[in-house]
Amino acid sequence: MILNTGRTIPQGNSVEFKPSPEYGAETSRAFLAPLDLMDMGIEAGDRVRIRCGSRSAVLTASASDDVLPGSLFVPYGPHANHVVPAATHGTGMPDFKGIAVEVEPTSDPVRSVWDLMEDLGGKRYDR
Amino acid sequence: MIVRDVICPFCACLCDDLDVHVEEGRVTGVDNACDLGSHKFMTDHRMEGPVRRTASGWQDIPLEEAIRETAELLQAAERPLLYGWSGTCGEAQSAGVHLAERVGGIIDATTSVCHGPSILAIQEVGHPGCTLGQVKNRADVVVYWGCNPQHAHPRHLSRYTTYTDGFFVKNAFKERRLILADIRGTDSTNVADEVVRLQPGGDYAVLGALRAIVRGKGDVVPPEVAGVSREQLFRIADLCKKARYGAFFFGMGLTQTAGKYKNIRNAIELVDELNRHTKWTLTPMRGHFNVYGFNEVCTWMTGYPYAVDFSRGMAFYNPGETTAVDILARKECDMCLVVASDPAAHFPAEAVEHLASIPVVQLDPFPNLTTAFARIQIPVAVSGIDAEGTAYRMDGVPLRLRKVLDRGYPDDVTILSEIARRIGEGGGA
Amino acid sequence: MTGLLIKNAYVIDPLNGIRGEVMDIAVRDGWIVESVQDGAEVIDAKGCLTLPGGIDSHTHICGTKVNFGRYMMPEDMRAGRTQRRGVMHSTSGYSVPTTYGNSYRYCAMGYTSVLEGAMAPLEARHTHEEFAATPLQDTMANTLFDGNWPVMEAVRDHDVKRAAAIVAWTLAAVKGFAIKLTNPGGSECWGWGKNVKCIRETVPYFEVSPAEIIEILVRANELLRLPHSVHLHCNNLGVPGNYQCTIGSMDLAPDLNPDRQSLYLTHVQFHAYGGTSWKDICSKAEPVACAVNQRPQITIDMGQMMFGKTTTMTADGPMEFNLYRLHHNKWSNHDVELETTAGIIPVYYSRTSVVNCVMWAIGLELALMVRNPWQCLLATDNPNGGPFIKYPEIIALLMSRRYREEELQNLAPGTMSRITLPALDRELDWHDIAVMTRAGQARALGIRSIGKGHLGPGAEADIAIYPLRVDETDPSRQYRDVIRAFQKTSWTVKRGRPVARDGEILVPGTNKTIWVKPKVPEEYDMGKDPEFARNFDRYYTVRMSNYPVQDLYLQRSLCMESEAQL
Repeated sequence: MILNTGRTIPQGNSVEFKPSPEYGAETSRAFLAPLDLMDMGIEAGDRVRIRCGSRSAVLTASASDDVLPGSLFVPYGPHANHVVPAATHGTGMPDFKGIAVEVEPTSDPVRSVWDLMEDLGGKRYDR
Repeated sequence: MIVRDVICPFCACLCDDLDVHVEEGRVTGVDNACDLGSHKFMTDHRMEGPVRRTASGWQDIPLEEAIRETAELLQAAERPLLYGWSGTCGEAQSAGVHLAERVGGIIDATTSVCHGPSILAIQEVGHPGCTLGQVKNRADVVVYWGCNPQHAHPRHLSRYTTYTDGFFVKNAFKERRLILADIRGTDSTNVADEVVRLQPGGDYAVLGALRAIVRGKGDVVPPEVAGVSREQLFRIADLCKKARYGAFFFGMGLTQTAGKYKNIRNAIELVDELNRHTKWTLTPMRGHFNVYGFNEVCTWMTGYPYAVDFSRGMAFYNPGETTAVDILARKECDMCLVVASDPAAHFPAEAVEHLASIPVVQLDPFPNLTTAFARIQIPVAVSGIDAEGTAYRMDGVPLRLRKVLDRGYPDDVTILSEIARRIGEGGGA
Repeated sequence: MTGLLIKNAYVIDPLNGIRGEVMDIAVRDGWIVESVQDGAEVIDAKGCLTLPGGIDSHTHICGTKVNFGRYMMPEDMRAGRTQRRGVMHSTSGYSVPTTYGNSYRYCAMGYTSVLEGAMAPLEARHTHEEFAATPLQDTMANTLFDGNWPVMEAVRDHDVKRAAAIVAWTLAAVKGFAIKLTNPGGSECWGWGKNVKCIRETVPYFEVSPAEIIEILVRANELLRLPHSVHLHCNNLGVPGNYQCTIGSMDLAPDLNPDRQSLYLTHVQFHAYGGTSWKDICSKAEPVACAVNQRPQITIDMGQMMFGKTTTMTADGPMEFNLYRLHHNKWSNHDVELETTAGIIPVYYSRTSVVNCVMWAIGLELALMVRNPWQCLLATDNPNGGPFIKYPEIIALLMSRRYREEELQNLAPGTMSRITLPALDRELDWHDIAVMTRAGQARALGIRSIGKGHLGPGAEADIAIYPLRVDETDPSRQYRDVIRAFQKTSWTVKRGRPVARDGEILVPGTNKTIWVKPKVPEEYDMGKDPEFARNFDRYYTVRMSNYPVQDLYLQRSLCMESEAQL
């Protein structure tokens, strides 16, 4: 499927305080066409794993009529970026939209943003 | 106390008509702002003072020590990257450019993952633009392409386009036609007169087809282009040509998809072409409130809008090589100073990983995801709330951000100047 | 500050009637004085040519469109790079250098004051930010009123005093220096993709003509007692046959001021074309120069075009679009709400183009045929006619007939019949050059009173010492020496302090900006005019309270106040 990322109001509202649960929840949502959810045999609120090359992330599925079948929309943030490749094709800009990904249902939990950062070698700021 | 005509430091609309209520050093209310702007004024999760990451956890450190250590790290680095800048004022950006020059570093802004490709296109074919008041007072056709202003720039429609009357457009809602082009339905497509729903990655082809039609070569256009019917393409081309004044806005939908700057180039050349028939202008929907300011400051100081490498003692610019994501993904920099942005949240994981293996210092009022990689973070005042300075709107209009309260935090300019002073004293670099 | 003594200077100081004599110049606290005590720093000029600091009365170096020129042209930036060295920042750019690049290069040529030719009031803050990063010159900004809605409404009502009041409020608010009209009326038309051809056409909706805008603002300017006159970029720039429009514009200005011109026409080379198309374009420098000779109330600058690569940038938006359609190179445009517009395209002026050759000749013809050098100043409309680093070559061309003849050999075939330059024998002398590059500018801009453009006691100590012995140099033959000398001073002194030696910058410097504030009676204070304020907040996209440029943008501020006669 084709992954597109972009800004949303809830993402923007919480962008100044990313450790908040709201930010983590909003940026880990995957908006999919209802037909695609049916095909995968899952419902809104279930989880999907998206995979691109060796990287993957777990997201919470939402149904949206605004998304074309065959594609998914994820608000801009660390969850989507966990799979976005870094190649910029000489432009400085990675492909944040139009990325070919595999999507499959999963029972794994959605990780917190701090978990994601620690996966990458960071250390949670927990004060 | 109510502070009037405050400029909103959220997005590059820089709405300047906010009334901010301040009581006892806290913002208690904001009138006229959108949801995003109000949240920024009301949010209060600031870091209290400078911290250092140690093996055992986070440790408070004196400001003096944080500055000294930052200066030492910058000076010791062979190839430091100074990244961010869009969320601070021009004066801090200027201090940042001087600092980068001083230490022979690379300076880049969030531009490179935002409208960097737009700049590359402008460097190929130019930019027919205007200030937003031209659109408000004159435009009868407005196009938003690959952007969702209702979510990213919530007052854009009510201040500059669809919902605001202008001098020559007495009843905007009736007189202005709104065209939205997007691959998905959004709150913005919902209010449009004409929605162009194209297939992902189809922008270049659709813009090309429109150019062909405007040029009078419509016979080459097939029945359908990237999901858009020939009939609709002709209808839109006609609407555009018959406009008295047309305004074309575009966003990440063009800059971040395959084709990148070539998409923008096609959009610009469409607008050039339309100018042979009537009046058209084009404006990138810049995101952060002062991302354009960085481009302006960096340009008059170095000649280039972003991605400047000073390692040769002169300004060297080559996006794709000297841009932050590439520098990090190639594991090229050995130190990173992050100012007013959050690369850990917004960069691909592969680029973020490198931050874990080099010293990182961050100047930011809030703990954010980059904090997880910071050896030191210095909380600073928020530009436009407790620090003043210059910001450039998405159309290039410069405004003076106000300071509506004092929280006792130092501002970016103070910290950066102090770092520079210490490096100057230490000689070298 | 201890004093400075410049000994053995061969001084030409036209404003004080000094046409070349060896003397000492004493400086204390930044000003020229009768004498300084022992212990002052001494510079031995060794009999070399010493002039007041150069003044450029029309150049584009700072602000929105200049910066856009840099932004859109990395190729130009790459064409002129220098490394950080000593107190000098790194620089980039050939035709549109970075602010430091402009400042260092002007300084090396002995220029100490410059006037930015076009500032949109709404974007004035940007110009002032760049001024602050132009450390070695004093700066002034022409402020654009060509498409200003409230002004056009006042013009329509033939209300000179209201027009003056609007100008007064705006200039003080944006810390501008003078009234600039670029293609008056045309900018508003360009808001709809249209233009005016000459001074008698009508601007849609506002129902005013360019002629009316010019006439009313020339009178308003004198009511406000501004130091400079109206600064006009005529309508119809760059169009064959436009010379009549230019002469017609001159006729709009009566002689209203005994101290300077009443109307300044800028870059007249671009406005002195005959013919009907690019095919038959020819020089009309002669009738234009004659018109200037007959009108003491007019001063012009050459707008000389020099061959090579450069960038055109002007508030004449429609003209730039026409150029784009000719060149098919990249084109930028920037319309500013309620005020003005701007356009930018890169160009290459070629000796193989007859049109370019004619342009080159016209600028020189103007300077040689205007009898009084005080009425024709040296400029290229930097960078439009060519970058300012070409000024030394222009000086040499004006001083040497032999140099001109050599250059004429290289022009495109077919040029000679369209120009009069080959027939002109005149060779300007050192005094003429001193007038055309500093004294004349100071007089035209009205800044002699603040100590600019001369070297008498009371003058600000801005001084250029060139490595040239006038008594040993015949400019007619040794024009290469003239070029070399004017490219790089031995010393440039700014505000009493040596700032450059042999082209090396010695100090970081601090910019000073000169601006005007006409004092008007209460009833003409537009800040308190309800209609003005209401329309402002309704049609601009910034609030009136956020429009004025704060004092803190000016590192050093020199406000020239005047008592308006309203």
